[in-house]
Amino acid sequence: MIEYKLNSNKPQELRNILNPLIKKWFFSKFKEFSLPQLFGVMEIHSRNNILVSAPTGATKTLTGFLSILNELINASESDILEDKVYCIYISPLKALSNDVQLNLIEPLKEMEKIAGKKLGIRVAVRTGDTSASEKSKMLKKPPHILITTPESLAIVLSSYRFIDLLQAVEWCIVDEVHALAENKRGVHLSLSLERLQHLSPAMTRIGLSATIAPLDKIAHFLVGNENEVPRNCKICNVQFVKKTDLKVLSPVPDLINVEHGKMQDSMYSLIDDLIQTHKTTLIFTNTRAATERVIHHLKEKFPKRYASDDPTIGAHHGSLSKEYRHSIEKRLREGKLKVVVSSTSLELGIDIGYIDLVILLGSPKSVARALQRIGRSGHKLHSVSKGRIIVLDRDDMIECSVLLKSAIEKKIDRIHIPENALDVLAQQIYGIAIASKVHKTDLYNVIKKSYCYKDLTLKDFNEVLDYLSGKHISLEDRHIYAKIWVDEETGLIGRKGRMSRVIYMTNIGTIPDETFVSVKIAGTDHVVGKIDESFLERLRKTDVFVLGGDKYEFLYAKGMVAYVNASVYRAPTIPSWFSEMLPLSFDLALEIGKFRRLMEEKFNHNKTKKEVLKFINDYLYVDKNTASSIYNYLREQYLYAEIPTDKKIIIENFTDRGRKHVVVHSLYGRRVNDALSRAVAFVIARSQRKDVELGITDNGFYVSYEKNVNVSAALKLIKSEKMELLMNNAIEKTEILKRRFRHCAARSLMILRNYKGRRKRVGRQQVSSMILINAVKRVSPDFCILKEARREVLEDLMDMPTTKNLLKAIEDRKIKIKNVQTDLPSPFAFKIVLESHTDVLKIEDKIEFLKRMHARIMERIEEKAKAA
Amino acid sequence: MQIIKDLNIVNLALYIKSLNSLVLGDVHIGYEEELNKRGVLIPRHHFKDVLASLNHTFYLLEPLLKKSKKKKLSNIIINGDLKHEFGLISNQEWREILKFFDILSKHCEKIILVKGNHDPIIGPVAKKRNIKVVDDYSKDGIFICHGHQIPTTDVFKKSKLLIIGNEHPAVSIKEGPRSETFKCFLKGTFKNKDMIVMPSFNPITIGTDVLKEQFISPFLNQDINSFEVFVIAGNVYYFGKVKDLK
Repeated sequence: MIEYKLNSNKPQELRNILNPLIKKWFFSKFKEFSLPQLFGVMEIHSRNNILVSAPTGATKTLTGFLSILNELINASESDILEDKVYCIYISPLKALSNDVQLNLIEPLKEMEKIAGKKLGIRVAVRTGDTSASEKSKMLKKPPHILITTPESLAIVLSSYRFIDLLQAVEWCIVDEVHALAENKRGVHLSLSLERLQHLSPAMTRIGLSATIAPLDKIAHFLVGNENEVPRNCKICNVQFVKKTDLKVLSPVPDLINVEHGKMQDSMYSLIDDLIQTHKTTLIFTNTRAATERVIHHLKEKFPKRYASDDPTIGAHHGSLSKEYRHSIEKRLREGKLKVVVSSTSLELGIDIGYIDLVILLGSPKSVARALQRIGRSGHKLHSVSKGRIIVLDRDDMIECSVLLKSAIEKKIDRIHIPENALDVLAQQIYGIAIASKVHKTDLYNVIKKSYCYKDLTLKDFNEVLDYLSGKHISLEDRHIYAKIWVDEETGLIGRKGRMSRVIYMTNIGTIPDETFVSVKIAGTDHVVGKIDESFLERLRKTDVFVLGGDKYEFLYAKGMVAYVNASVYRAPTIPSWFSEMLPLSFDLALEIGKFRRLMEEKFNHNKTKKEVLKFINDYLYVDKNTASSIYNYLREQYLYAEIPTDKKIIIENFTDRGRKHVVVHSLYGRRVNDALSRAVAFVIARSQRKDVELGITDNGFYVSYEKNVNVSAALKLIKSEKMELLMNNAIEKTEILKRRFRHCAARSLMILRNYKGRRKRVGRQQVSSMILINAVKRVSPDFCILKEARREVLEDLMDMPTTKNLLKAIEDRKIKIKNVQTDLPSPFAFKIVLESHTDVLKIEDKIEFLKRMHARIMERIEEKAKAA
Repeated sequence: MQIIKDLNIVNLALYIKSLNSLVLGDVHIGYEEELNKRGVLIPRHHFKDVLASLNHTFYLLEPLLKKSKKKKLSNIIINGDLKHEFGLISNQEWREILKFFDILSKHCEKIILVKGNHDPIIGPVAKKRNIKVVDDYSKDGIFICHGHQIPTTDVFKKSKLLIIGNEHPAVSIKEGPRSETFKCFLKGTFKNKDMIVMPSFNPITIGTDVLKEQFISPFLNQDINSFEVFVIAGNVYYFGKVKDLK
């Protein structure tokens, strides 16, 4: 059973179980036990699975290790310490592994000093960076505590010499659960944990997580099932143990009547002020490009402060080299940096020293993310986390103000945990077959214990086995593709091929290699950035596009390189590329919708401006300026058109340059709008048999077409129970499906990064995603890895279950739909039209499309001939 | 469709009426095998598709042969890059190339193999079927070469009509945010000679988008704006000049 632990233990109870040595050490370091320790230590001591959710710096790691160290010291003192791995600690970050090792070795040394003798407790790190000699040393003298990453754990589980050391693991700590649960790395880990538990049935699982929700689901993810019910787990929720000081700031009093340049100046002055009045500031942007832009502008506008010979500013994001990032981390810890700007890479708990302010530029799109980011400041349990969200426009302002309210009122948005991912399953089954022969039924049963596969059907499982054993390939060629053999008579499964171990170890993992196109300045080798494969397809010679805040003119492409001209003064001709953007969480979206609804009610009841302002002030915890901006924005929308809310979708129709635009104000976040808009576009496209252009944002979407289109009729035609079929058709020809298929193919080891000693250089004769997907579609349109790509798009990238609920609510008239006609786009519609991620829903057959374009060009040629 | 006097587009190949010959090129046998070697373990369809496309070509050719009162082609000219990768010929490629020759030889008196940049060692397998390998082929002012280098011979200089491959031309047709790429023939000139650039016969890949990619063939190192585009997608579609599509 999964249950919340409501009361902490008493300090005396903890003192009673601790060995005098560790007790002496502990109180030489700390005055008292922290709240997470009072909740967690006894449970771990009693061998109960637990999930501890607490902010960064809340002594989570020591909570996890205290009981374990205690028992190891007891064992050491009684001279019964065995040569085996007692505890495995898993963190998603390699950098974190080294931190943790130091944080264990130091205390052990100190305790040895207190005891005046060696304790003989060994701690070792095993990650992708560990040398072969260190690995073989571990085999001879196994570490009692093994620190590793999810990928290295999977490797260890498939190396038969190491497996012997994993037969009686007693504890497994999973750190940063929040960073794993919502992606395929977590899915992968959930299976590794089951593999480990299969070897060590008595193992206790300990999960450590930052602020996240829903905790009961995360706990279930952590512990999995036994006999088809969740294993026991206690949840220790100490998320709000740290005090937070959180504010929304606007760079200018009026966000609408301000020029871009003025806005920029004010924003950077504000940022500079904040940096100067604090010791060390951490700035989070939502994209890597924005990170670079902020640094560039700060240096340019305040050269004396930031651009000196010994710069006090640094960038930290995933595209930067490891060495560079390490040097930034080091300088941060040494207090040499005044400010560091990051996208997501500093969200996780590596020790970055003393930070007293976190600035969020633009909405972080989820309450949990906001709290995780802000939690990076005041890296001590008793210090205050100080965060400032700087808003960039009026939608941002409302979004962040509501986010602030949710954060203060402890309403954390729920994450989505991927389930039944067949690509990860294929990789893990291969790993299991490499470790030893296994019976089909046993294998299926072990897999079903993982939360992520508890509902896995036997059919899907068998299809993955078919794929791995090369059943889809003629017998003659099978040897090239088959990774395992399946003996139908005995039900046994085993590995195939002499190279299997090497292939597995060198291709393991779930983080996809993006097939990016490098953008270079023509005539040079200077790379200015990367664009997506599909974006290149859309580019035409002389098109101007924005990358990393700068404009470039596209000249020509050669293979996987796009050559551009950097000195261009024309406006962009092609919309920017938004696929990097974080989606707004559904729960937060609903809160914003609710606020809009309350505001509309005030307007409907003719409340005075003063009354409404007071309501905003009380409801949102914002200052006067912000309240008045929010008032004006909503009032404009109310008077000009109508305010869309959580219970009312507004469909706004207007014409621009002869083309009909329909803006659907559906504030439910991009994951829902992605699905909803495509379903609508598909219904329209199908009835008209023409392609439909659409643009998607968090706040709604637009559909653009030559003629009048009845979007509300289309919306009403979509039935929640038919949504799956509809969406499978709607995404079939999209770029995103092709791209995700490539990722899935890599995870399922259909595409190998490392093969026969060659590391595939990305970019060298890159096989187009089209060729890959076509080859597989011809085997079967329901080929398991293709099915997985569709699932990933519909369930992980988009949010089908929520979209279906929404449609049900529309069917049941719990959500109303209302049409309005406008001459110009309403205030709310502007951003939806301007900042959408545009796409086209292809319905027209490729040949029909060609014929139509052919007719058009022939017409033009005839006209020209006549004119001449 | 006639692309220029005496030359008809037949699927992805060209029929030269006066010579009663068929030209096709850039088949790239062994394409997927090379992908496999690089760790892309997708199932193989290439050769099956090549044979299907070949069948279709011969089916479309029938009425043309009837009109010229011919029973069989005099020549089939393979204009380079029969094989995909440089280097050794694997067992499977060897088998497939022989089968390819055998099918072609049922439809013609003679197969002529023009060397491409991908098949410097095609000799032994060609020899197995007594097929001549040449650097180029010319007759009656028509000059056929792969196109990766410009010949310097007198025959070349005196020729009137050039047929090359190598570039795998394709064209992207765009409307709003939708863009689709199709294989195409190009018709233009090179040093006062008429020139036809043929698409690749490789059914798996489409080719180089002439609207935005840089060319590799030295024959196309020139302004191709006034080259004419013939899109191949089941039928042939004339799309005017390159500059009209930009």
